[in-house]
Parts: sequence; C-alpha cells; structure tokens
Amino acid sequence: MESQQLTTLTGVIDKKMNRQLKQYMDICARCAICKDACHQYVGTGDFKYLPARRAELIRQIYKKYFTKAGEFVPALYEARDPDENLLEELYESTYACTGCRRCMYYCPFSIDTAWILSVAKSILIAAGMGNEMLGQLADAAIFKGDNAEMFEDVMISGFKEIEEEVRQITGNPEAQVPVGKQGADVLYVALAGAHSIRPAAVIFEEAGENWTISMFEAANYGFFYGDAEKARLITKRYIDEAKRLGVKEIVVPECGHAYRVAEFFYEAWSKEPMPFKVSHILEKVDDYIKSGRITVDKGIIQGKVTYHDPCQLGRNGGKFEQPRDIVKAVTDNFVDLTPNREKQWCCGGGGGIVAMEEFTKTRLASGIKKVEQLKASGASVLACPCENCRLQIEELNDIHELGLEIWQVIDLVVAAMPLPGNKKAAE
Amino acid sequence: MSDEIKVDLELDLKGLLCPLPMVKVSQNISKVEVGEVIRAVATDPGAMADIPAWAKSTGNEVLQAEKVDGEFVFLVKRVK
Amino acid sequence: METYLYITAVIGVYVGFAVFIIGMGWRAYQWATTPKSPVKLGMFPKPKTRVGRFFKLMKDTFIAPQSASIEPRMWLFSFMFHFAALAAFVGHLRIIQEYPILPELLGEEGMNAFAGWAGGIAGVLMMVAVIYWIARRTFGPFKQLSVPEDYLLLALLFGVIIMGNHMRFFGHGVHAETYRAWFQSLLAFRPMLPSELVYSNVGWSLGTHMLFTDLLFIYFPFSKLVHTIGAFSANLVRSE
Repeated sequence: MESQQLTTLTGVIDKKMNRQLKQYMDICARCAICKDACHQYVGTGDFKYLPARRAELIRQIYKKYFTKAGEFVPALYEARDPDENLLEELYESTYACTGCRRCMYYCPFSIDTAWILSVAKSILIAAGMGNEMLGQLADAAIFKGDNAEMFEDVMISGFKEIEEEVRQITGNPEAQVPVGKQGADVLYVALAGAHSIRPAAVIFEEAGENWTISMFEAANYGFFYGDAEKARLITKRYIDEAKRLGVKEIVVPECGHAYRVAEFFYEAWSKEPMPFKVSHILEKVDDYIKSGRITVDKGIIQGKVTYHDPCQLGRNGGKFEQPRDIVKAVTDNFVDLTPNREKQWCCGGGGGIVAMEEFTKTRLASGIKKVEQLKASGASVLACPCENCRLQIEELNDIHELGLEIWQVIDLVVAAMPLPGNKKAAE
Repeated sequence: MSDEIKVDLELDLKGLLCPLPMVKVSQNISKVEVGEVIRAVATDPGAMADIPAWAKSTGNEVLQAEKVDGEFVFLVKRVK
Repeated sequence: METYLYITAVIGVYVGFAVFIIGMGWRAYQWATTPKSPVKLGMFPKPKTRVGRFFKLMKDTFIAPQSASIEPRMWLFSFMFHFAALAAFVGHLRIIQEYPILPELLGEEGMNAFAGWAGGIAGVLMMVAVIYWIARRTFGPFKQLSVPEDYLLLALLFGVIIMGNHMRFFGHGVHAETYRAWFQSLLAFRPMLPSELVYSNVGWSLGTHMLFTDLLFIYFPFSKLVHTIGAFSANLVRSE
C-alpha cells in the first residue's frame, strides 16, 4: 500500500500506544469466550462482530509494524497492512460496536475491546473513513459552543416555554428554569430535547435546589465519532460555563455516555483535574427522595415495573442501585431483568449507532437478547434512563409488539409526585 | 414566505427528540440535489438550535426556522 | 541418540532458557515503560480497598468466574489445563531437588508411585485439554478467528505433553534421580547425559520432549503465551 498512508496510519497507533493497548495486543489468546458476550454477534451471527475479531484487525497491523516477530514472520500472525480490505471491515465492526464492554466483563484477561476500537476509530478518521454522521453531529455541537451568542435567543425562549410547563405541573407560579444564574450550586447540563429538561426542572424546583440550566447539551458525538479532541471541545463548553458561573457541582442527564465522559474521560482529554463534582441526575433524585426533599407516591404507576441498566451507567459507570431505589420508591411491583447490573445485556442502541442509518439492520437484530429479557420479566412498564437505550428499546417494543410503556426515570418520578399538574392530567 | 420556495422533500420530524431531528435532516440531505430544499417540521424546541448549527457546520443553508402553531418549521437548502 | 539428546537436552535447554528469560524480561520491560492509559478503564462493581483489589485480581486471574459462567465447558478444559500444567511444573522441580519430608513419609517406592500417579494424571489432563482446544479450533467462528500461531502453539504443547506422557508411562525403571543427575549437570554447567537414560527406551522420547520444550520456550516470549504474566496487570485494570 501507499507508504505515506501507511506511515500515517501506523503513526496513529504509535501515538495512541499505551500499556493497556500493548498488553491487549500481546496477550489475547483468541479463545473467543467473548463470542457469546456480544449482543451483536449473538444477534447476527456475523463473524465480523465477534469482539476478538474486531480487535484482531488492529492486532494484525500491530503485529506487522510494532513487533519483530510479526515483521519477520507475518504469516504466523496473519499480520498485514491496513489496506482497503482491512479498513472496510474495521469500519463496519468498529462503528457498529456500542461500547458496552460486556466482552471485557467475561474476558479472562479483561481485554477492553472498546478501548482497542477507540484506536480503530482514530485510524479510520486518519484514513478519511470516520463516520460522517457522527462527525457532523460532533461538528454541529462544537459550532454551537463557538457561536453561543448566535443561539442564545432561541435557547432562552425554549427554556421560557419549558418554564411555563413547569409552572403548570408544579402549580407554582414562581417556578423557574434559571438561565446563567451566578452562584448556583448545581449546573444541570441536559440534552437538547425539552424532555430531558422539563421533568428535571420540576424535581429541582420541588427539591428547592439552587440550580441553573446549561446552554449546552451533555450528549457527546465527538466521543462516539472517536475524536478525542472534538470530544474534549464539546465537553469543555459546559466545563467553561460551570467555571464562569462558579457552581459547585455539574449534574448530567440520564444519558449514559454523558456521565462517563464527564466523570472518567474529560480529565484524561484535558489533562487537568475536573474542578467540580460530577453527579448523575439519578444520584441527585435518589438523594432527594431519601432525604425527603421531594415526595413520591406509590400506586400512581400501575403494573409491573422493570429497569434496564444502560451499559455506560451501570457496568461502565457504577450506578446500579440509585436508579433502582428510585423505581422502587414509586412502585411496590418491581422486577429485575435477568441478567442485570454488570451482566446486563446491551440493548444494542449505544455508541451512536441509533444515528447511523447504515447499521439499522444490525442494530435491530442485536436487540434480540434485550427483547427476550423484557418478555421474560413479565413487566408492562420499563424504566430506562439512557436516551440511546430508550430509542432502541422503543423501536424493539414496536417491532416485537412487547406492549411496554417506556419511561425516562425522571418522568416516572414526576408522575409519582403529588403535584397539581399531575392531578389535572389524571382528572 | 414558505409558499414562495419550492420544496423538494418533506420531512415529518414531529415527536422526535433531539438530536434526532438534526440526524434525520442530515441523513436526508443527500437525497436531494444541490440547490434543492428540504422542509422539515419538528416539535422539539431543541431543533431550533440544532438544525441551524448543523447547517452552519456542514456548509448548508437554513432558509427559514420558525415556530408555527407550536411546531418548528425549517427550510433547509442543500448547498454542497 | 547421544547427539540428538546433546542438541535438545543440553544445547537446546540453554538456548531455550536464555531466550525465554531475556524475551520475557524484555516484554515485561516494554510493558512497564509504556505509559498507562490516561483513562481509567475499570468496570463496576469495583473493590474499594487495595486488599479488595488484590483478591479480585487473584480471583479473576486464577479462577476467572465470569468466563466460567459464560462458557463452562471451555472454562473447565482451560482450568484443567492450567491446573495440570502447574502440577506438572511442581512435579518437574523434583529433577532439581528432591522434595523434603515426602520421600520419608512415603518411602522411595511410595514417592515414585505417587509421582507416577500425579504426573500421569496431570499429563493426561493436559493432553485432553489440548486435544479439546485443537478440536475447538477446527470449526465455525473459532476456526475463522484462529491464526497459524494458535495451531503452532497447540502443536508444540501437544508434542511436549505426548512425549512427557511417553516417558511417564513407558519409562519403567527410569525415575527422578536419573533425570536429576542430568538436570543438575546442566545447572552446574558441566553437562552430561547419564547412559542409563540415553540408552533406555525413553531416551528418544526425552530428546523429543526436550525438542518441543525448547521450541516452545524459544517461541514463548513472541507469542500470546505472554498472557502468563500479562494477565495479572490486564486484570488489575478491571478494578482501576
């Protein structure tokens, strides 16, 4: 292959090289125990989705250009150039991966395939093969950050509309969606959609929280795209805002990857310690309920309720109990999915795959395990925090006629709160 | 104003939550020719920032972004 | 026969050992000097204390309960192999130095019988596991995923084990002290091959056992077998 392209692509691996990557490259025994851990492999039976195979493509380049043995006897390792064939398969297997890390959980060496694929994404981007849709979404977010004043009016008028709704729901004419409030304790970084702001605002207002809303969204398509610099810039938008407002705590919405980005990745990208406490909204809500700052009633949510652990929030974020405790506070009729918590099946909608039309077939096929789990639970209501999970499960719900009511957890909380707006709706 | 502009593709994005309206516009922009126009109707107010931001960063043009009867109506012209 | 044994059981041992030690040292040095991932790659639930992390590391590395739960059969054969390999390694230490106490308790005959049984069982278990691994790589996704390295290593292991088993089951009258005389001479850098070994019915199988062993040790640091040391730090990352 062309030597300049080769230098570029191997240079990417060189730049991304670290101890974990090197060990993952060196030690994988290709035992394929990860085979049955991956919802995409299980759902499609397609070899390219076998986790070890996804990693093997990077290993083939690594062996040829980063090890003497692979350089001398490439055939022994099937070591090869990152040529067109390799890159094409790599594109398919990498951007399809939802980054759930279920394979890592079951791997006897804890090999983090998603980490290897983050290198794969860098290679693809360098080869001009980064996913276009995710790249555009990331660029749009960065553009919003660079031209914040351009969007200020529409954002504020949007917040004002939500504020009206919050006033109706809470019956409190003073209720606010505070924008740019200096000295607030909490900066809530929502998603672009009103649905992630309205219920949170109701809860913050009822809890008497000293909060303010961010002008930016917590979703990070730079992370899914695989460009650490874009991802950093997207996160930096609200980090700078939080510094400017002097808040003590950043609260991210139910969205799974947003929490992981803020809590685990931003420090590594920015090379500075995170100056704020980062909380997930469901941690806050759980705390409000337990400390009596908000009241929720049981009996309003009817039917058997179950909960889906989004991978980025559960296995990769460590928030297993708080969301469950919230759900258990609004219903006595709770049932867990099997398996759950760290063993939870990925729903198939993570990693930005819901935005990439080309993977629709794979994505829907990969949801089969989740469908089986949901059916087996016998639940009629699903509490599901992550936006990507919810989009995927709503689609599965329609296709497989599961008849589930699917709720954001904070919507469930607001519905169970004794609020005048709720009573009106019930009447 | 929208009456004067010829619309080549209609997108119903009502009920979709952000950033999906932006995603759908982006997915469909390649389905029209350069110079043609997509009319998209969304209900999520977040689209009012998302779609113009997407257009600016991809070099396309938003001819109109208005709130009409509680819905958000966009006219997006493919430039490249 | 003497020339064959001189190559595989004397020169080969020195070469294999040197390549193995230097290669593994170099590999460990490379790992140690490559900076750690800037992002914490751990997964939840994580132990909160150092002691907790240590025990989780040991459990994940030596027992791999997660792997056991997802593919019990593969786990069983793999666990069997590694356990038997450890037992075989411990048994082989007899050719450096006889164990204390045990021979006094069992008597010389008893000790040889015990070693015969233990070594025999370990050898058979390893052989069965390697056959399972080879068979598993002959079909479906396992075959698709396999590269020549995988088969080469299995072939070498198979050779080592089958020849070891031949010595164990057919080497009547050749016991640890004979092998010890040979191995201690290597350690003393005054190599000699006891004639009762060379001209016994297992002389050629020792030679071939050592041929495969030498090749395995030479290839070891350049293969996926570096997981023997790498698994520890990779598994530790789970708790970080």
